[in-house]
Amino acid sequence: MLSIIVFLPLIGVVLIAMLSKERESAARLIATAVAAVDLILASLLAVNFDVTGGMQFIEKFDWVSGVGIQYYLGVDGISLPMVFLSALLTLVAVVASWKIEVKPKAYFAMILLLEVGMNGVFMALDFVLFYVFWELVLVPMYFLIGTWGGPRREYAAMKFFLYTLFGSVFMLVGIIALYLQAGTFDIVALTDAGLSPTFQWWVFGAFFLGFAVKVPVFPLHTWLPDAHVEAPTAASVLLAGVLLKMGTYGFIRISLPILPDAAAQWSPFLAALAAISIVYGAAVAFAQTDMKKLVAYSSVSHMGFVMLGIAAGTAEGITGAVAVMFSHGVVTGMLFLLVGMVYERTHTRVIEDVRGLSSQVPVAAGLMAFASIASLGLPGLSGFVGEFLSLVGAWRSDMWPGWVIIAAVGVLLAAAYMLWLVQRVVLGSPSHAVAEIEDLEPREIAVLLPLVALTLGVGIYWDLLLRYVDPAVRGLTALMGA
Amino acid sequence: MSGYWLLIPEYLLLAGALVSLFGDLLPGGERSSAILGALAAFAAAAFAGFIGTAEPLFGGMLVFDPVSVFARVSLAALTSVYLLWSGGRGTGSERSHEATALVLLSAVGGMLMCGARDMVALFIAIELSTMPAYVLMGYRRDDDRGLEGTLKYFLLSMTTSLIMLYGFSFLFGITGVTGYAEMDLTGAGVLGVLATVFVFVGLLAKLSAAPFHYWAPDAYAGAPTSSVAFVSTVPKIAGTVAMIRLVEALSPGATQLPLLLSIVAVASMVLGNLAAYPQLDLRRLMAYSGIAHIGYVILAMATNTNTGLAAAVFYMVAYALPSMAVVMIAAEEGSAVEQLSGLVDRRPWTAWALVVFLLSLVGIPPMAGFFGKLYLFTAAFGAGYRALVVLAVLMSVVSAGYYLRIMREAFFGERVSTPAVERSIPATIALVLLVVATLGMGIAASPLLGYLGVSF
Repeated sequence: MLSIIVFLPLIGVVLIAMLSKERESAARLIATAVAAVDLILASLLAVNFDVTGGMQFIEKFDWVSGVGIQYYLGVDGISLPMVFLSALLTLVAVVASWKIEVKPKAYFAMILLLEVGMNGVFMALDFVLFYVFWELVLVPMYFLIGTWGGPRREYAAMKFFLYTLFGSVFMLVGIIALYLQAGTFDIVALTDAGLSPTFQWWVFGAFFLGFAVKVPVFPLHTWLPDAHVEAPTAASVLLAGVLLKMGTYGFIRISLPILPDAAAQWSPFLAALAAISIVYGAAVAFAQTDMKKLVAYSSVSHMGFVMLGIAAGTAEGITGAVAVMFSHGVVTGMLFLLVGMVYERTHTRVIEDVRGLSSQVPVAAGLMAFASIASLGLPGLSGFVGEFLSLVGAWRSDMWPGWVIIAAVGVLLAAAYMLWLVQRVVLGSPSHAVAEIEDLEPREIAVLLPLVALTLGVGIYWDLLLRYVDPAVRGLTALMGA
Repeated sequence: MSGYWLLIPEYLLLAGALVSLFGDLLPGGERSSAILGALAAFAAAAFAGFIGTAEPLFGGMLVFDPVSVFARVSLAALTSVYLLWSGGRGTGSERSHEATALVLLSAVGGMLMCGARDMVALFIAIELSTMPAYVLMGYRRDDDRGLEGTLKYFLLSMTTSLIMLYGFSFLFGITGVTGYAEMDLTGAGVLGVLATVFVFVGLLAKLSAAPFHYWAPDAYAGAPTSSVAFVSTVPKIAGTVAMIRLVEALSPGATQLPLLLSIVAVASMVLGNLAAYPQLDLRRLMAYSGIAHIGYVILAMATNTNTGLAAAVFYMVAYALPSMAVVMIAAEEGSAVEQLSGLVDRRPWTAWALVVFLLSLVGIPPMAGFFGKLYLFTAAFGAGYRALVVLAVLMSVVSAGYYLRIMREAFFGERVSTPAVERSIPATIALVLLVVATLGMGIAASPLLGYLGVSF
């Protein structure tokens, strides 16, 4: 089952590659079909998932036997929402890119290849396999940004690739160190390897570099605004929606359970970086004149809440972290899609030039307002769940309360810059660029609707998400001995 | 002596070389000898694999252990792919038959190097392997730059051969034997150190490891790109095997060897990667990248563990596959990086194949290069070379910079240039084989590693 979910998109890639030049428009059909089937499979996974059952749907056999590398897949309540998110956003990204005209074959093949890597990362339970999927993600994203991106796409693609590679090679060193110490690449088995605190401290540092670049945590975030601004809409959705989560997922899946002593030692540092990321991201978002850049910096801020929950190390904190990961994926996906849709019509992302959407394109404006409000964490919408839990978790942990207070200020800042965005873009009288544009077409609304539904669903009925996450996180904190 | 049949692969290559020399008499024109040579080399690879491990030959002069078998098979197979490709090109010069013969002769020398466990046998094999390479590198008689590069290569190579031979004479003087089995440098003192240094300086220069690398960029840049594809890859596999055997043999007495090798490894990794950055010519770029990769290999040798040495050979092959392919593509599209511009529109499949090769060289999974690095770094880390492993992974990030520059040109380049050479079916097959091998060697490495005895 899991292997099918991971490698089905690869079959799609092969099919698309075999299309002749004349029939290249069929690429989007193949991509849509494959992504849809994958989403259905991922949903079936969620339906058949036993919330109290720990690691499930396990597939495990020797890969490189002499060295102990396994092909080992499995999902638990933490990875399942991520797999679902990645399958959902891939379908959304494919349908949203329906109109792509430049090299459609390569474009859709790259998105599907990206899905292979994303799904794989959230399922892999062997370090080498994890690393394979982790790095696999770089390649399609590099091409998506580099080929279909904005004016500075080559620079942004290169920066994205090199930054992330820089982080992940340290992760590789960490993996090697763990392997030599404990004799296995098995992520599950390593949770009770009994590693010495000093050793853990170093390995945690190596993994920190790998994951923190991806999240990204201040001050390792500088690749993100460039990548987001230059990336095509669908790539932005997947980048913010799924790729960033790989970093925090790594902390939760690997750093916390395998290196619990080091996690405790590093916690103050992580908390500080989290709080700084939250406030810094928010403050910089304030100053942006480009809508996409604003959303990009708001991602830095939101991912700070995830890091705060992880730094807390308490059950509430980690549950909150996973909830923010899920919610941010959905909500930021919406925001990037809307910014992209507006951009397609107005050919500008400058906030000053895009004003008064509500009177000209009420549907787009309404959705934009909804997404912005969801992003700022209004109770009743999904963003609130995670941020609330991660703040509570942080408050109840041993960390310096100052960081929690600073983070809470970040919530206020988020409200301010998002509402200000709504005020400028949605309200008021239409600007010149907005005056003539058409409202969203049914396909675009169809892309956004599931995201709206999830935002409302998770926001009102928390259990929809937390029934998966909570038991898994309790198992995790039990492992950590917290 | 009953073991002569163990050398059937060498006989096949030799026969192919001799027939190729009279290639003008063959039907089928310019391509015939290359295709024939490819078949001979393929048969040699198959036989080498079929023969497998065996008892040593000539009283231990030539051994057929797993590492040797693996290297022999890879070397012959790569030679076969190379000849297939060069036969498909069907261009080059009026003397393409000779080129085939030279390639096959060089391969014979390489095959013997893989098994050699005796100084005399090794020296003869090395000379047999490099002599044809001089000619291949200077194949264009009318090109001054090429001749200059070749002359540099020739002079330096001869000098280092002599230094190595000098070292061998010391070794013989100290130990009284030429075979590695009874060689023991323990207690040899300064003389032993000198001998070790001489021997390894010679080998390191042949492998173009820093600081003995000066000849490589000039020689490659002056040579026909199609020759570089062979000379810069296949002989290095043999050189690596020859070197790990000497490391094994001399390590007990030469306590400074790990230090010497570490210094060379660091110098090669740093210098190779940094110097590759500004290169505009793919041959020069690949020359420097080759220096860098040799640095990783030598890092594994410094461990002097079975796993480390096996990982070194594995890595070398994992490097040779994509590296040969990149130079082949450069030979077809033009050797300046900017001539790759617009490759994705011109030849999309080649462009995507190029991605596989370049990412393998960077060490991105699931390509062979990643698994090579994984085993190599694990071996080195386990042997205590932690700082060097960190340096090595950082350098692989640096290397991503210049490999991506090539990719960027091929995919995002605005200039449109025309390919230098038409693509033929054999050349396409050769590239496809290299793609499959580059992907497969990592994903399906399990039996291979078991065979080589890599375990941690």
